[in-house]
Amino acid sequence: MNHWLTAPVLIPLIGAFLQVFMGYAPLSLRRTLGLATTGLLLVSTVFLLMMADDGSYRAYAFGNWAPPFGIVLVLDRLAALMLFITALLALFCHLFSLGRTDVSSRQFHALFLFQLMGLNMAFLTGDLFNLFVAFEVLLIASYGLLLHGEGTARTVPGLHYVVLNLAGSALFLISVGMIYSVTGTLNMADLARIIPTLNSGDLPLVEAGGMILLVVFALKAALLPLTFWLPKAYASATAPVAALFAVMTKVGVYAIIRVYTLIFGENAGALANLGMDWVFPLALLTMVVGVIGMMGSSGLRTMVAWQVVVSVGTILAAFSLVSEAGLSSALFYTVHTTWVAAGLFLVVDLIAAQRGSAGDKIVTAPRMRNRTFISVMFMLGAVSAAGLPPLSGFFAKLLIMSAAVPGLQMAALWAVILLAGFLSLVAYSRAGSIVFWRNVDGHIGQPERLNFPHTVGAGALIAMSIAIVFAAGPLSDYTDATAEQLRDTSAYIGILDTPMVGEDES
Amino acid sequence: MTLSLVVLLPFLGAIAAPLFAQGGRTAIAIASSVPALLALATLFPMWGTLAEGGTIVQSLEWLPQLGINLSFRLDGLSLMFALLILLIGLLIILYARYYLKPQENVGKFYALLLCFKGSMLGIVLSSNLLLMMVFWELTSLTSFLLISFWNHKQDARRGARMALAITGGGGLALLAGILLIGRIVGSFELDDVLAAGDQIKAHALYPYALTLVLLGAFTKSAQFPFHFWLPHAMQAPTPVSAYLHSATMVKAGIFLMARLYPALAGTEQWFFMVSFTGMITLLIGAYVALFKHDLKGLLAHSTVSHLGLITLLLGMGTELAAVAALFHIINHATFKASLFMAAGIIDHETGTRDMRQINGLWRYMPHTATLAMVAAASMAGVPLLNGFLSKEMFFAEALSLNLPGIWAWIPPIVATLAGIFAVAYSARFIHDVFFNGKPRNLPIYPPHEPPRYMKIPVEILVVACIMVGVFPAFSVGPLLQAAASATLAGEVPDYGLAVFHGFNLPLMMSLAAFVGGLIMYSQRQKFFDFHARFREVDEKAVFEAVVSWLVEKARGFTALLENGSLQRYTMLLMVSAIAVAVVPLSGMALIGSNGLTAIDPPTALGAAILVFCTLGTVYIHRERLTSLIMLSVVGLLVSLTFARLSAPDLAMTQISVEVVTIILLMLALYYLPSWTPTEASAGRRNRDLIIAGVAGVGMTLVTLAMLTSPFSSISDYFLENSKPGGGGTNVVNVILVDFRGFDTLGEITVLAIAALGIFAMLRGRELSAPPTDGQGHPWAFDAHPTMLKQMSRPLLPLALMVSVYIFLRGHNLPGGGFIAGLVTAVALLVQYIASGVNWTQARVSMRYHNVLALGLFFATATGAGSLAYGYPFLTTTFTYLDWPVVGKFEVASALVFDLGVYLTVVGATLLALVSLGKLTPAGRPLTRTEARKES
Amino acid sequence: MELAFALIIGSLTFAGVYLVLRARTFPVVVGLTLLSYGVNLFLFSTGRLMSGAQPIIGSTDTYSDPLPQALVLTAIVIGFAMTAFVVVLSLRTRADTGDDHVDGTSETERTQDQSTTDLPREETGQ
Repeated sequence: MNHWLTAPVLIPLIGAFLQVFMGYAPLSLRRTLGLATTGLLLVSTVFLLMMADDGSYRAYAFGNWAPPFGIVLVLDRLAALMLFITALLALFCHLFSLGRTDVSSRQFHALFLFQLMGLNMAFLTGDLFNLFVAFEVLLIASYGLLLHGEGTARTVPGLHYVVLNLAGSALFLISVGMIYSVTGTLNMADLARIIPTLNSGDLPLVEAGGMILLVVFALKAALLPLTFWLPKAYASATAPVAALFAVMTKVGVYAIIRVYTLIFGENAGALANLGMDWVFPLALLTMVVGVIGMMGSSGLRTMVAWQVVVSVGTILAAFSLVSEAGLSSALFYTVHTTWVAAGLFLVVDLIAAQRGSAGDKIVTAPRMRNRTFISVMFMLGAVSAAGLPPLSGFFAKLLIMSAAVPGLQMAALWAVILLAGFLSLVAYSRAGSIVFWRNVDGHIGQPERLNFPHTVGAGALIAMSIAIVFAAGPLSDYTDATAEQLRDTSAYIGILDTPMVGEDES
Repeated sequence: MTLSLVVLLPFLGAIAAPLFAQGGRTAIAIASSVPALLALATLFPMWGTLAEGGTIVQSLEWLPQLGINLSFRLDGLSLMFALLILLIGLLIILYARYYLKPQENVGKFYALLLCFKGSMLGIVLSSNLLLMMVFWELTSLTSFLLISFWNHKQDARRGARMALAITGGGGLALLAGILLIGRIVGSFELDDVLAAGDQIKAHALYPYALTLVLLGAFTKSAQFPFHFWLPHAMQAPTPVSAYLHSATMVKAGIFLMARLYPALAGTEQWFFMVSFTGMITLLIGAYVALFKHDLKGLLAHSTVSHLGLITLLLGMGTELAAVAALFHIINHATFKASLFMAAGIIDHETGTRDMRQINGLWRYMPHTATLAMVAAASMAGVPLLNGFLSKEMFFAEALSLNLPGIWAWIPPIVATLAGIFAVAYSARFIHDVFFNGKPRNLPIYPPHEPPRYMKIPVEILVVACIMVGVFPAFSVGPLLQAAASATLAGEVPDYGLAVFHGFNLPLMMSLAAFVGGLIMYSQRQKFFDFHARFREVDEKAVFEAVVSWLVEKARGFTALLENGSLQRYTMLLMVSAIAVAVVPLSGMALIGSNGLTAIDPPTALGAAILVFCTLGTVYIHRERLTSLIMLSVVGLLVSLTFARLSAPDLAMTQISVEVVTIILLMLALYYLPSWTPTEASAGRRNRDLIIAGVAGVGMTLVTLAMLTSPFSSISDYFLENSKPGGGGTNVVNVILVDFRGFDTLGEITVLAIAALGIFAMLRGRELSAPPTDGQGHPWAFDAHPTMLKQMSRPLLPLALMVSVYIFLRGHNLPGGGFIAGLVTAVALLVQYIASGVNWTQARVSMRYHNVLALGLFFATATGAGSLAYGYPFLTTTFTYLDWPVVGKFEVASALVFDLGVYLTVVGATLLALVSLGKLTPAGRPLTRTEARKES
Repeated sequence: MELAFALIIGSLTFAGVYLVLRARTFPVVVGLTLLSYGVNLFLFSTGRLMSGAQPIIGSTDTYSDPLPQALVLTAIVIGFAMTAFVVVLSLRTRADTGDDHVDGTSETERTQDQSTTDLPREETGQ
């Protein structure tokens, strides 16, 4: 068994409780340690990414208890990809948080690292109930982070977010119960093995459980009609947190992809592709509502928040095409949108910091100090997010569009994607030209100067959009392979025979 | 990959150019012309191949999944456009050197110009449609930045955004069209696409593909009804206008149509869509141009009309027409570019472009005037100038277009009419500006000739006009031949590039147009009056209005959905959960095969009370304290239920959690209003009742069906291995600390995070406690009643002992770290309640952060311990010790793990509640006795 | 037995859902607590109901399913943490908005300031 699999969980955990111990140590020390932890995490995920690229499933049985009895972590291409996306994102968000965000509370670094631990747990676990625990870890940490920071603006959105997710957790438990009450197991591989063999009498409970589970994940992913908690929550969070939360919706997406390819996937017999006929239209509607939200937003933060909604719709629309190409394109788009949306959140924060009382509102204000740099960053991000060439968004959308098979589905998908692209183009160009070009005389009290962490944090994430273009070939090879691997559920089920330590490895 | 180099060079230049900005305008202008020169040098040797109709394709695989490759193609057509782009680009660079003011951001200007040039070259040289798409949208973006170069001007910003919206939007349509073509052909490589013409036209998707592609082309080439963006793009600096609207941007759409000519042209749909669009554009542009007082406005509309002319020619679908179209592309580029530059010079020297002010400039700038007049004459189609030749061809084609019956007349008439307008506005350009009396209050007076070098580009272009006009075959013959053969992808019909074709009908039409035009101009006042009757619509304002309307509507719509009401969001969540579950559950058997079992009276009674209190909690939820008491009863009964149904651990956990929770809620209630107002309407309440009712009934039925159906699970394994494998007889506890220890690790992490979150959340916040409770009674006689104090203090060691006991037995009997932890926490909490925060803090000298961190540390460390022995994380081991008093008992590494749990629980619980207790720094409000003392 | 149990869970769910849909923080918290009781009982019962069969080796001859019990124990703890958090959050809401409405302000007031701005009130200073 390869102990590396635990690294993405243990590194942040250890880093986190060290932070708690050092609650009163000098800030510089805590920062160094925090960044070191995130950096180490990134290294480990890169390592896992390379490991997973051989296309095999690796299982890690905690306590040396064989699955399905003990809890296993499972590493495959999908998990590794998500881990990597998150770790890279986290590093730059963490960097960006130095200075403005992390001084306002001693708990920030600890909460940030706990958040990462929860995320990584969710990506790695191969056990349905442990997935619940992972969700709780990342949620409670996200509550803390969301409410973190000066001022009272985020209290009410925070309350909404918390209450909704508590209700969601209750639903999660109900669905787990329903599924367990029939299958008598919690291990995902075991579930994938058992569910096709169920007799018709047992199906209703499992199906209902599966559907409720879908609702829970849809809430995390902010799929319509469970979208509306997101914009205000994200718009009011501090920039690094909002940026990190770009991956929070993706956890919901990840869970959907995992569970509805493995447990309720094409090989699930009577329950094959459960709920996908609901997801596709809802995903398209989500895109529409999201882009309307972008059009209507009066602040850049809200705009980017809605952008996140749009991207969730796009990913799920591609996924619910239920094809290898669709799945692959969905993953490609996930990589692109997570980093770019996060980068936009950070850039918008730079904008707000230099516009005095105008903040991120789309109104005229005195010319900002570093207009050129910031505006270029914003333009790159916007172009990429709107899906225009030559940046990553274009290729991601291209992949999705060419994944659709001719017919009504394709027509709908293309129409919505292109329309969304057009409207976001209009929205971004309007916002940009007002914010950057329509200046009034006057000057800000002390506009914040660009400092190293901010510039690098924001710049790097935006630059990812260019990097993806150059790496488009390898990346789409990887996502193709991932999609292929995900469709071969029998290989995943194979982890049930992972030899335990001490047993003879035959 | 020499061709890719041609495309790449300008972009590299764009990066380099700004570095020369310090060196002044000349330096940067020279620097910016290097890429073009290099590119020309690269292209030159390839002419040989192209001359005999060959093509050069260079390809590099990029994204095979998408069918998008870095493949470039040079043939007659792309060469012709590349030359236009590069040569006119050079002239523009020279011209801009003198046009721009030193204080302007020259570096940015040239960088953008080069980016744009690179994108244009990309379009014409790409051999892969998707690659071309990339450059296509790049031109939209770069032109957006060029048009808005003077972004402090509102008009510039709006014009730019309009251009971006139209061309960018059209680009999206084009993308869809290209993808469809790719679907049909199975490749995006031009060679394949052009070869598959018949296959495409036969395919069912052809109409869609064609429409979408044409949408892209028309938007880019400012065809009706998308023509309006072009005139507003005139807000750009004149060099930009001269470049974008003569040779490049607007020609991209034309190029696309010519490029895909073999693949798409030659069908009914093509003919009607393209030729009629062209015809309308031709007329409208020409007509409006006549009435523009702004020099550039006039030129812009004439550009629109000429683009219409070219489109019309392409639409006719005959080979000769295509040739004519190509020819006119060259000619229009030359004379229009020179005219724009001339206009720029005039603007530069007089400070205005309004033809009502500018008159009689002949006296001040004869040289410029001559140049402008020649170019304008060419625009009007005066013989011996290039404009004349292609226009002749156009007339000829218009005549030879054999349409049924009366329709046959339309093209020639339209052509002549357009010709008349063209002559008229050209005449106006010449006469109004250079003659027609004296200048009227010019901003700059007196105007004089521009710097010498500023005129050179104009001169070159004008010479070109004449050269082509006089020696067409010699000057452009070969290039045109190559371009034509590339466009038609096959045999080129023989066409005469002669200056004079004899007295034929086309000549008559030109003559008619000429005479008519002059007459019209002489009578212009009448037309102006006529035109003045119609209100001018400013498309920019319309566009802006539309956008802001959209924004308004979007805002309203969003506010409607996302109205910030948690109740709605929760409702949506609940309803969706119910909705998705109802369908499958409807088919479920109500009672499973196992049937129901009997219930004994006490249990029944307990159940009844439980249900009663539950509903009671709802019924009186407005009196919060009462409902809280009800709630605690419910919790108590729930734990009894666990006990009754053979889950002692759960019972103990539930009861201890219950205590803390209730304390917590009590504390909360101390700060919150003690009753809930009635807000929701009856309707809302009934709605919620229904939702809740459905959920309740649903859960009842699900539970019933589940409980009565047979079941087998993986749990036997746990029962078997708990003792031998986990070393404990309390299976639940063994599962928690061993089989599923990872869950527990997560669980205590949650607890720790929650505590930290609470601590962080309350940091720096204050809540002044209300002096009295909801009914207005003071809280108590005494803050810390002596009784309670005396009772609580001896309680502490007792409780601690109990918790140690519970902790130790946990592995084999109900108990364990969690419960023990809560007991300890409660014991300490009692101290806080009884004797106050300060008293207790003084005696309990531990920082709860560290306690919970220590707990996490123990848990993790135990888990990691096994790594040392090569076993996976959280592998446990155990052995038995025999101590005198205690007797034989067992030490399991799991116990240390459980110790971690214990510490975390204590630390977390106390951290949370104490930071809550500190919420009122001012201390507690007055008690009744103190109040009496005060008064 | 099963019927009674099912009714318990049903009523808890009903009560929980109804209170969660209320407009003030306190009832919502109470509702969440009730809901979690119901859910815990439900999850517990997925191992089916048995009397006097506590899963302690050697204490009886038949054992009830220990796994759901372990899960529920975890769920209770997590639920406890969450409740604590949301309770305190409701207090903070009270502190920050001066009201205990879940939306900070009652709907009528909100619809008024909705029109003026949908932006966070803070974030506008430096």
